Amino acid sequence: MSSDLQIYEVIVCGAGHAGCEAALAAARMGARTLLLTGNLDTVAQMSCNPAIGGQAKGQIVREIDALGGEMAINTDLTGIQFRLLNESKGPAVQSPRAQCDKKAYQFRLKHTLELQANLHLFQATVTGLIFSNGRAGQREVVGVRTNLDLEFHGRTVIVTTGTFLRGLMHIGQNKNEGGRLGDFSAKTLSTSFIEAGIELQRLKTGTPPRIAGRSIDFSKMEAQRGDAKPTLFAYHDTRDDGPLFHVEHDMIGREQRLGWVPGSDQVPCWLTHTTERTAKLVRDNLHLSAMYSGEIEGVGPRYCPSIEDKFVRFADKPRHILYLEPEGRATNEYYINGLSTSLPFPVQVEMVRSIPGLERAELIRPAYAVEYDFAPPTQLLASLESKLVENLFFAGQINGTSGYEEAACQGLVAGVNATLKGRGQSPLVIGRHEGYTGVLIDDLVTKGTSEPYRMFTSRAEHRLLFNHGSAELRLEHHARTHGLLSNTRLARIATKRVQVDQWVTQFEVTRPGSDLGLGQGTWGDWLRRRQSGTDGGVQLDVLPEAFLALASAVRDEVLYRVTYAGYLAREVRHVARLQEVEKIKIPASFDFGAVQGLRTESLAKLKATRPLSLGQASRISGVNPADISILMIHLDTRRRSL
Amino acid sequence: MCENEQTMVSVGDTITALATPNGTGAIAMVRVSGALCGALAAAIFGREAKNLPEGRQCYSDYRALDERILDDVVWGFRRGPKTFTGEDTLEICTHGNPLIVQLVLGDLLARGCRSAEAGEFTRRAFLSGRMDLTQAEAVMDLIHAQSERALQAARLQLQGGLGRHLERLIGALLEILARIEAYIDFPDEDLPTEDRGLVVDSLANVLRGTERLLATHRYGDMLRDGFKTVLLGLPNVGKSSLLNALVGRDRAIVSSEPGTTRDFIEERMHIGPHLLRLIDTAGINPSPGAVECLGMEKTFERLPEADLILWVIDGTEPLPTPPQQLMPYLTPDRVFLVRNKADLIGGGTATAEGDGFKGTGDLGAVSLLSVHTVSAFTGAGLDDLRAAIIVRADALRRSVAGDEHLAINARHADALSRAGAALSAARAGLVAAVPAPIELVSSDVRMALDALGEVAGRVDNERMLDALFSTFCIGK
Repeated sequence: MSSDLQIYEVIVCGAGHAGCEAALAAARMGARTLLLTGNLDTVAQMSCNPAIGGQAKGQIVREIDALGGEMAINTDLTGIQFRLLNESKGPAVQSPRAQCDKKAYQFRLKHTLELQANLHLFQATVTGLIFSNGRAGQREVVGVRTNLDLEFHGRTVIVTTGTFLRGLMHIGQNKNEGGRLGDFSAKTLSTSFIEAGIELQRLKTGTPPRIAGRSIDFSKMEAQRGDAKPTLFAYHDTRDDGPLFHVEHDMIGREQRLGWVPGSDQVPCWLTHTTERTAKLVRDNLHLSAMYSGEIEGVGPRYCPSIEDKFVRFADKPRHILYLEPEGRATNEYYINGLSTSLPFPVQVEMVRSIPGLERAELIRPAYAVEYDFAPPTQLLASLESKLVENLFFAGQINGTSGYEEAACQGLVAGVNATLKGRGQSPLVIGRHEGYTGVLIDDLVTKGTSEPYRMFTSRAEHRLLFNHGSAELRLEHHARTHGLLSNTRLARIATKRVQVDQWVTQFEVTRPGSDLGLGQGTWGDWLRRRQSGTDGGVQLDVLPEAFLALASAVRDEVLYRVTYAGYLAREVRHVARLQEVEKIKIPASFDFGAVQGLRTESLAKLKATRPLSLGQASRISGVNPADISILMIHLDTRRRSL
Repeated sequence: MCENEQTMVSVGDTITALATPNGTGAIAMVRVSGALCGALAAAIFGREAKNLPEGRQCYSDYRALDERILDDVVWGFRRGPKTFTGEDTLEICTHGNPLIVQLVLGDLLARGCRSAEAGEFTRRAFLSGRMDLTQAEAVMDLIHAQSERALQAARLQLQGGLGRHLERLIGALLEILARIEAYIDFPDEDLPTEDRGLVVDSLANVLRGTERLLATHRYGDMLRDGFKTVLLGLPNVGKSSLLNALVGRDRAIVSSEPGTTRDFIEERMHIGPHLLRLIDTAGINPSPGAVECLGMEKTFERLPEADLILWVIDGTEPLPTPPQQLMPYLTPDRVFLVRNKADLIGGGTATAEGDGFKGTGDLGAVSLLSVHTVSAFTGAGLDDLRAAIIVRADALRRSVAGDEHLAINARHADALSRAGAALSAARAGLVAAVPAPIELVSSDVRMALDALGEVAGRVDNERMLDALFSTFCIGK
């Protein structure tokens, strides 16, 4: 056993979407960072569909950009189709989505990692954690062991195992160990967690078959094209000019890639559907499905059911829509969105060929289900650090989530917080009122999850504040506090904020000239009448010229805030009310058992979750308002007696 | 849809609650805490907001939003932070009449306050650091005891009818929300065509249910405070005699001198399964003297809260024109026409019309009233009147179908009326000529759910997702 002699500030295990953001965030904060991956050729691999964004996820990607992460710009530069979802609805629930070239996405991100100062990439599989006893006798992590018999030492360790932790793939009755077809399984790392008292459970997810494009008859399908005016993910209006890196961080080399022009040369997806024959094949072979024959113990996601689930649970629905998504420009491979299954391969072939346009389809990769270990995230602090092992952080699917975007935003937060922890600084905790990232992490550490957790806009009680255009403005203070953006960009965001605020005020106090014939009241009144249809029809180009000359990002934000002022003010009041209990902190060492009068059920839940604020405690299901009152008084008493 | 939501409140809203025990007493104190207190005191007591007397007891009329004077009260205003809660505080001492308290609280809510949750004043006191260690410990014991009791009571109630009714409303609302959210969160899915008509209908159903529950607020009051029956009529028709006859002893000062009863006389008695509160008022004199005038105003003030009005007339006289102030309540379920002095005429019960009254002018609504001919002197017809009152009280209870013991309190009523308002806003947004963006409708529905959750317990968003995934086939 030999070991790398340096002590890293942050060691990241795994280079998926969580691991990449974690490593970049830490390195960009100046931390000496090591990124370990079992296979450098699959860095930032999209294991399932070739798309980034969509409802709520699109907003998360913009939040990642607002916090200096890479996913947004990487998507813009490798996207091959861009669509704004929910364009007919209000701005709060409009989300950008992009099809990506999978290989281009990986290569650009890998290259970004390679060029990042302070970041050391290395290919090795982590087989175990190295613990020691910390100051207060609590177990702490000090490094990792690898399959190459090399040890690495670090002040903090971030674990992002994805589906690889005891990963087991199912195709009918066929089983293969691994987290992804063609890849390995991390079998021994689970032992380290169990040794440290970290509980593990099983989840399941699945992916559909891939087929060769040359075998598809597109004439039988409907094309779904990208938007003529693509909505991108990164904030190009405030982004630094020149190289796509943080200007103040040292660059090893200059940007060497030829960037794609974002949104150019878009390619279509294709719509088709299942048939009666597909349904019959599923029903006749249900007993051979790994999921229906009891082979799989893990819990799968309801929002992403297998085709078996769809036909069984919604038996009255005669057919289901399928989307064929290209996996990239330089490949002929297509992904059949909607046909996730764990039926045996021969059945899959027949099933695919029962679909219009796929009668002669050649399957080049089978569909499969994969089971893996996750660590119920209620074992984490809001910083994503383990409550049981100091300096150990978790991000991505090991926390029970699903999705590239969900993983990436956790990775970013874990990378920042591991760095801060090593430096003895207090962590970055994004509030539930500040963005989807905050909702996601709070849901995970407070409520946990029983299925792979995916973000929905409906999970956010303050959704109306989370329009995708405002992520930068919402998160600016965090970016500033922790130095996650360059000073140039922070200055541009500050300018943008001033412009937005000024115009919002101006529209509320000034009136359109009577010659415009826009009726009584201020510009704000007119905009709201216009939205409610009582004064519709007139185009926005009657607005003051100085306003129309602003950047569209500023204009859109101003119009949103003015048009929805009443609702947004209501949200802001709601947030203020909730913040009162959020402000009351509960020390990590707090002994809930010493609080007299808590109900037994509440006490058990509080002990298990160990909330760090009264607000968090109030969100634990089963803890009622009376318990919260008692807890609050006890906390206050305690504070005063110290 | 939310016009009055424009003004921003800085931190924390202004809360109010009755600080003295519920029920009739010498005085009742309503406490208000929060940023609005100064403005409230200025508006209600007609003072300048800048020159509010601080820390002094003042004596003023309480002028409600609709300009009515609710009571003459003693009030005190103190600016934070040196107050119990640390915030601006307004304390209003009214006469100890639950009705007055109700009106004052209602007025404060209408002016933008919110009903305080249990222990919320104390919570604010803690938050602003206004309590020391010993006080904190004392209050902790108190709140503990209170919340345990409150919890028990609430649990009992929630296990019973109220919980079931709320659960039904919440279940329906979750389905509505699932229908809305499915189309927001899964725009690319192969969902059935969005059916807003169905959502509008379901919203209307939930709104009706909410209003029906709200109506039991009255029954809840009745259970606690009794079935309020106001005796009303011209002087010397024998209202006090009737009260005594119903009560069975000489409670009111019975006198043949008209206008003897200038104040209220209130008697509580059990009639069948109900607690009856008989309220005798000053007689209505068409040309009142100054003192009687005062009494009459008080009479009319009691009408809105009355579960039943016994309009007592002299059976020997022709039917008088109903007093103007009675007109809004002149329906068969609110007003009985009682012909007293049956010993001087014939007996029986009939409608006003059927009895062949020779009324003065058009009978109109009066013709529909049920008529009870009684004699306070001999007791004739009293049993029938009692039976009719029981039927009325029972009918009040049945305003919520299928549940006979349902009654909500003022806090529930506050939450339910907020739910109702949010539901109306949601519905209005959907049926508008240009429908509101659906995420705004969703925001209103969520407000309603939150409000119902304040009574039934927090509604976890997981339940909406459960409804969504069981209704729609989601998943590409």
